[in-house]
Amino acid sequence: MAYRTHLMVCTGTACVSCGSFKIKELLEEEIKKQGLDDEILVVGTGCQGFCAQGPIVVVQPDDIFYQLLSPEDIPYLVEEHFLKGRPVKKMMYTPPGEKTHIPTVNEIGFFNKQRLIALRNKGLIDAEKIDDYIGRDGYNALIKILTAMTPEDIINEIQKSGLRGRGGGGFPTGIKWEICKKSEEFPKYIICNADEGDPGAYMDRSIVESDPHAVIEGMLIGARAIGAEQGYVYIRTEYPLAISRLEIAIEQAREYGLLGEDILGKGFNFDLEIKQGAGAFVCGEETSLIHSIEGISPEPSQRPPFPAESGLWGQPTNINNVETWANVPRIILRGADWFSSIGTEKSKGTKVFSLVGKINNTGLVEVPMGITLREIIYDIGGGVPNGKKFKGVQIGGPSGGVVPASLIDLPVDYEKLTEVGSMMGSGGMVVVDEDTCMVDLSRYFLEFTSDESCGKCTSCREGSSAMLEVLTRITEGHGKEGDIEFLEELGYAIKDASQCGLGQTLPNPVLSTIKNFRHEYEAHIKDKKCPAHVCKALIDFHIDADKCVGCTVCAIKCPVKAISGNRKEVHIIDQSECIKCGICKTVCKFDAVTVE
Amino acid sequence: MDKKKVGSVLVVGAGIAGIQSSLDLANSGYKVYLLEQTPSIGGTMAQLDKTFPTNDCAMCVMSPKLVECGRHLNIEIITNAELKKVVGEAGNFKVEVTKHPRYVDEDKCTGCAACTQHCPVTVALYPIEKDPIFLKPEDRTKVDAILEKYKDMKGNLLPILQSINTEFRYLPEKIIKYVSQEQNVSLSKIYQIATFYNTFHLEQRGKHIITVCIGTACHVQGAPGLIEAIENELNIKVGETTRDMNFTLETARCFGCCGLAPVITVDEDVHGKLKRADIPKIIKHYKTMEEKQDA
Repeated sequence: MAYRTHLMVCTGTACVSCGSFKIKELLEEEIKKQGLDDEILVVGTGCQGFCAQGPIVVVQPDDIFYQLLSPEDIPYLVEEHFLKGRPVKKMMYTPPGEKTHIPTVNEIGFFNKQRLIALRNKGLIDAEKIDDYIGRDGYNALIKILTAMTPEDIINEIQKSGLRGRGGGGFPTGIKWEICKKSEEFPKYIICNADEGDPGAYMDRSIVESDPHAVIEGMLIGARAIGAEQGYVYIRTEYPLAISRLEIAIEQAREYGLLGEDILGKGFNFDLEIKQGAGAFVCGEETSLIHSIEGISPEPSQRPPFPAESGLWGQPTNINNVETWANVPRIILRGADWFSSIGTEKSKGTKVFSLVGKINNTGLVEVPMGITLREIIYDIGGGVPNGKKFKGVQIGGPSGGVVPASLIDLPVDYEKLTEVGSMMGSGGMVVVDEDTCMVDLSRYFLEFTSDESCGKCTSCREGSSAMLEVLTRITEGHGKEGDIEFLEELGYAIKDASQCGLGQTLPNPVLSTIKNFRHEYEAHIKDKKCPAHVCKALIDFHIDADKCVGCTVCAIKCPVKAISGNRKEVHIIDQSECIKCGICKTVCKFDAVTVE
Repeated sequence: MDKKKVGSVLVVGAGIAGIQSSLDLANSGYKVYLLEQTPSIGGTMAQLDKTFPTNDCAMCVMSPKLVECGRHLNIEIITNAELKKVVGEAGNFKVEVTKHPRYVDEDKCTGCAACTQHCPVTVALYPIEKDPIFLKPEDRTKVDAILEKYKDMKGNLLPILQSINTEFRYLPEKIIKYVSQEQNVSLSKIYQIATFYNTFHLEQRGKHIITVCIGTACHVQGAPGLIEAIENELNIKVGETTRDMNFTLETARCFGCCGLAPVITVDEDVHGKLKRADIPKIIKHYKTMEEKQDA
């Protein structure tokens, strides 16, 4: 049956949290009521990326973008647009600070600067229907490698494309496959690492939610290349929607004979199983992940031997990240030359980033390697909200570092980021503005890593808690001369002495902020001031007598009743009672509460 | 009193206390017979990771003593032996000791452990007594079903614990002991796994679970303030449960809803883009829900 219009309702986790399933249901109901149900089809797609504006509906083929929908909007929308043919302007996107609506997806800055490979099907297919995927060239790459390519050809193609691991390390994927292929031991295993533990990063979840078959197809190609017959997807248990979509996808692929025995009649056997993680950051490390699947204590082990030689149950094992797998079918189908034409000299293709924090257009973006931070943050991200000053961007989560505002024209690729003391990581980009305290941010990351350190290496276990102790002391106003030097020395020692990536990179947030924002540390230690007004021990709230009109709002809202004053008189904060929660500042309409 | 030391002493049990007593006595000039039931001296302390109160590693404390004890000319160690009979009075005892056969020539054995590695059967030196564990019949059926489901799976401990955690919302002690016996996995191993991952809980949790996301995006957008507000509102700290068992406050590392930061979830409901001032309203909603149910 042919429909004249498709309504693509985003059903990624962020939109679902804003009620997009309800929106989808209401749309279907309303369309039926208007008798349009044989003309218009409502489709639930995976994450479309523009999470800040959810719930989102895109009208295809007109490409019209509706955002921030609420259930009350739906009857009006259906009547106006789909019955009367008048697109509803007030539900369209308006860039912050501007007045004109932007009707179509391609005109919105957030979308039109992106280049989609791993996320090419986002918002275009129903992730729970294999036919939708096949309709968009899906599984054609599988047919190509089974009919026209030898395993060697596949590996050559991947090597030529320059694809590198998207999980953070950036190891060339083709070389990894080749090592695993060369091993004579059988059986071999392949694993998809979907244990996305970085706080502030969710691209793997989105890929699995919006296009699970791309990951499955990528793994099939990898399995064929290295000669594996069993694969595992290790996925965080915190991602229930992704897990259920992947389960459905695997089931459908089995039904279509794309998983299981004798795939497409070519004598190729491969099957997939889902393994759920249980919430441990270190399990994203490959040896630790393998131990977790084996059911033993998931501490990383010494490499070499690399998993490619001795991995799961002592057998050769190839592990790649979700995004890496999702890139593979496109490379096979469109060729290594096409892929390597995108990007920079050493970093090819695209990278998905989750752009979050103090930014207008929060969401998921896929951009070509080599794009500058300025383009990502201003053209795609729409800049920092509320006219605040952009201070930097934290890339790579707890393993990465902060790139300061002065380096905003830095082209983003593996090497350039490492050069400035950050790293690609899995691709979390947290934008920070003048209201973010860099010392507090470092303390936050150390709190995370010291909690998640498995405790095997003394340098990581004890070192992280020692760093945390010093950082906590600094934020509490007890910093001493020499603390900065101590943090640096300890940081380099931990980098040198730790066994796995967690320990080797955990000092990065501290070291990079000391390098670029040393004055903030000094302000905390010497002047006992927090320039961003975040660290509670170092700030005081005051009421500006000239501005206070005595409206009593702050006194009513204060949770500890620390504010006193009569109506129409200047109020005063009792400093001994004040818990520095900042509620008075947010509720004051006259901007009379100041922080020092 | 005659200061010349005469006679000898028998110390029964070569644990850390026995070893230390033997050393003290031997250094004071007595001949010591150190009797031990198991094939080697050392006892339980050797199995401990750390010791109270200094947290020193147990083996670091005791290995010098073991060596000293073994070499001391005044100490004769009798292992693999039992005390059968004691007669006499203070100052003049006669004891009867049964020494079990070792089947290894003690003079020639250097303790290289090669034989133990190659012996095809293992015998537990310290057999763990198995108390029968009584579960409620309905719990037992649930647990048995879970164990049956993962019976043939390689590396099944993690999924078993995950299923139990989902079913009971935490890992009850009794059930864990039961699993330990049924699966023949030591409790310490289960405990190691259960404390390694954030998903598992060892204490019973409240009816409503409030989880505050403390991912980076939520952190910079004000998650710490939300935690403080909830703590004040419910009068509990993170990880605790209110006394009426209605609310448990937890934190999570990123739900991946960074677009809605800062985010909290109450059970399955997601509340995003929150301000500190929103918290009382949200909690009140669930409190009234509870009160309605009670009524």
